[in-house]
Amino acid sequence: MGVSDDHPSADELSAGQAAAADALADAFDRLAPQGSDPWNFLAAFTHLGNRFGPYQPGGPGSSDLLIPGEATATGGSRLRRIRQRIDGSGSGADETNEFDQAMAHVVEAFRFLSARVRTLEERLARQDAPLHGPAWLIPAQELGDWVSSVAGHVLATTPGGEIWHADCGEGALLGAFEEGGVMARGNEPRGAVALRALEEGRHVVMAEAIEALSARPAASLGGLVLSGVVDRLPLHGLINLLGQARRTLALGAPLVVLATDPDSASHQPSTVARELLQPHSLHEATWEVLLDRAGFVAVAPLLGPHDEHSRFAVVASTPT
Amino acid sequence: MSGIHHFVPVVHRGDAVGRHTLRLRDAARARGFSSSIYVDTMEPDTADETLPVADYVTQAQRGDVLVYQFATASYMAPWLAARPETLVVNYHNITPPSLWAAWDNHVALGQVRAQRELTLLVPRASLALADSVYNQGHLDEAGFVRTDVVPPSAALDPALIGADRDASGRAPLDGARWLSVGRVAPNKAIEDTIAALMVTRAHHDPEATLLVVGKPAAASYDAALHRYVADLGLSDAVTFAGHASDATVAAAYAAADVLVVTSEHEGFCVPVTEAMAIGLPVVAFAQGALPEVLGNAGVMVDSKDPYVLASTVAALLADGPKRERLAQAGRDRLSALGLAQAADRFIELVQTVMVPS
Repeated sequence: MGVSDDHPSADELSAGQAAAADALADAFDRLAPQGSDPWNFLAAFTHLGNRFGPYQPGGPGSSDLLIPGEATATGGSRLRRIRQRIDGSGSGADETNEFDQAMAHVVEAFRFLSARVRTLEERLARQDAPLHGPAWLIPAQELGDWVSSVAGHVLATTPGGEIWHADCGEGALLGAFEEGGVMARGNEPRGAVALRALEEGRHVVMAEAIEALSARPAASLGGLVLSGVVDRLPLHGLINLLGQARRTLALGAPLVVLATDPDSASHQPSTVARELLQPHSLHEATWEVLLDRAGFVAVAPLLGPHDEHSRFAVVASTPT
Repeated sequence: MSGIHHFVPVVHRGDAVGRHTLRLRDAARARGFSSSIYVDTMEPDTADETLPVADYVTQAQRGDVLVYQFATASYMAPWLAARPETLVVNYHNITPPSLWAAWDNHVALGQVRAQRELTLLVPRASLALADSVYNQGHLDEAGFVRTDVVPPSAALDPALIGADRDASGRAPLDGARWLSVGRVAPNKAIEDTIAALMVTRAHHDPEATLLVVGKPAAASYDAALHRYVADLGLSDAVTFAGHASDATVAAAYAAADVLVVTSEHEGFCVPVTEAMAIGLPVVAFAQGALPEVLGNAGVMVDSKDPYVLASTVAALLADGPKRERLAQAGRDRLSALGLAQAADRFIELVQTVMVPS
């Protein structure tokens, strides 16, 4: 029974299509809940339970079952029996005691970590809007005739290294960087938009800026451009984003913030976007304060805000 | 009177193993055997069809054959291994733990346990029956001495789904309706279907849609699929129907243009046979038992690249004569699989290991 041969093979795809296929797979893989409480810690408890006897996470006094002399149910005696088998004798009380106490510490450590993760996840759930695909509520903004100005500034000031464009849209700025001889990557959370950029050969991941930057090593970027995302995040999200920007930029590397003037009537987010996302568009002066507080230097306006698009650009750099 | 009794961790009415077990029980009763279904967990919608496993101890008869419907870990396995009655294992495959680990490590550990439990039953089973030759390979590898293949009696009644479709009459070049049927579980890799739909909408058919029919098996995986759909901008194009009645599933088949199967692992894949029964074209990733079950009655791809899948579906939907050929091949394939005679064949094989009471 063979595979049908009348369809295109993966080998026939263009480089852009192959990259887009990989990006689609990566965009899903990142959603696996690595490290979440329900499957990680429960699994650890289950594993311990299978090996050493029943253990109920959070059960009153359950860990006492693992401490010799205090066992009141089968778990403790079962553990002792296992330990005695390992010893090949029934003696060695000191060693058994040490072993059992170590196991009790392991279980307690898991209990502590489990409670800690639960607390953090609950806190995150309160902070994060439980809305999937929020970026689609504020369409991607292409940079148009600002591409050359922004690219020119970054290329002139970069100390070298990759340049990142957050919310890169169809990748026009990435293309300008590459024409300037610099490796450029970006993220675009709107999958269909990212697909077009990928098929054009741009190096784009389908992800939110904070996720993409968090995955980068420290001081690994020679420049960073933030656009789009800065108009749709709440304030705590913007501060987190600037923290990641500061972490990932190399010494002396430029940052460009391309934002929409909040007083602009022509670029107000839709009513639905305002109500669901609570975006926090900031004035230029506010960005200057935020960048200064985030540890950037040489904060200054680059473009706008009185152009036809009601946008402005603020530049800064990390200290040298 | 001795009987043929089934043991299964739980019976869900719309679930393939559940439907299969109920049909085998009915087939045994129709042949005059006593036959009950014993479960570890009673489900409200099948409580009138099942008995708690502990009840069997008081109802056991000399000469009984106990059939274990094996698909996952259960305390029934060691319990059955210790029973004196003749034991038959009906193996529906164990999803590889690696496919679950990223989503629900607890389930993954359960699958590891299931793999151990399968070997536990090897010395006790007089007969091990697999859904497919692919599954039979697992049984042989585990060391079962006598194995055979009987396909599952789990497909929806074609009469419920409706009359044969006109395989060539409709040319759904625009707004094609893709269908995915089965548990929404990590091994089904529904994300690959979604990615292919996205490429289809970008390059072949901007109005194509996907209906996913099936009960979510892992909350984390289900949530990730929903987020993925939203991130890709497909919220208006992908519908998750969740657990559905037989009638709803039947309606989904009747309205679909193509069944797309991108599973990483299938021990049989009942939905493929349901699609073949009504002439619904199938595009499937060639893995597990799918090449064996589908045969030449669908289009199989050896890559899950979304561009390959998208262009394969588009080419199939544009080719009426090919769809017609596949529909006929599907009917032939169903006959060759012998699904209609599967329950009788199962009982006949079980009878070969019955010890006269």
